[in-house]
Amino acid sequence: MNSPFTQTLSALIRHRGVTGCMVVGESDGIIVDSSLQIGVNGSAVAALTASLYRKAQRASTAAGFGMTGFFELVAEGGRVCAAGRNEMVLVIVAGAKVNVGIIRMEMLKALESFP
Amino acid sequence: MRLTVAASWVESPLKAFVDDGRVRLAILLHSSGQVLGQFGFARSVDVMTACALAAATAASSAELGRLIDGRPFNAMHYVGVTQQIFLAPVPIEGGKLVLLAVFDEDSSLGLVQLFFQEFCATVKAIAPAASAGEPALDADFERELNRNLAVMFGRA
Repeated sequence: MNSPFTQTLSALIRHRGVTGCMVVGESDGIIVDSSLQIGVNGSAVAALTASLYRKAQRASTAAGFGMTGFFELVAEGGRVCAAGRNEMVLVIVAGAKVNVGIIRMEMLKALESFP
Repeated sequence: MRLTVAASWVESPLKAFVDDGRVRLAILLHSSGQVLGQFGFARSVDVMTACALAAATAASSAELGRLIDGRPFNAMHYVGVTQQIFLAPVPIEGGKLVLLAVFDEDSSLGLVQLFFQEFCATVKAIAPAASAGEPALDADFERELNRNLAVMFGRA
């Protein structure tokens, strides 16, 4: 079944190094739609990333910086990127060597098409 | 907030669930309504009430599930204005327990579901088989209930 996000997610998952992309509810951390490679624990990443994103929002607001734009978690074995709009968070799971510049640009562009 | 348990094996998984899931209140109980452990309640009467309501809700939901879907429903999630309730069966050897968790905007349904899965796996591995086999309302029910509450709230 297609959702309004299927096309966006299909385009994002095709980028080299991207192993999963999801649209997640910001407040509940539940996956709305996703495209995941085998081995990516979507529901766990979704819940934890949405939680981190909410915390980042609060930290950013507390610091007087306004809303969070783009959020990136860099780990030894890969990256998790998130960007949100209208109570939804677009989450990308990728390998360490992914081209973050392109991913960031694509994510911000994709957010504009969110309902 | 203090975590209190009536059975020692409950402490570690319940503490991990409460800490990781950032829930405000949590109770693990027998499906009969008898408490095994709790976090966040200050008075034994509140625990007793919550256990009775949670057991009744879980039983109603299970029966409704059987009626509609041919099998019991699993977890239930209720959304309030500021707080939410997560109520779900915890399968163990020979039966099931029930977990009731209350959380607010510091947590989320996704987080609670995630750490509930870990909680279930741990409980299934360490819960004594006899934990599930307790009769629903036998002659000792009230005495056992009072004993558990006394152990947890320091009046044993």
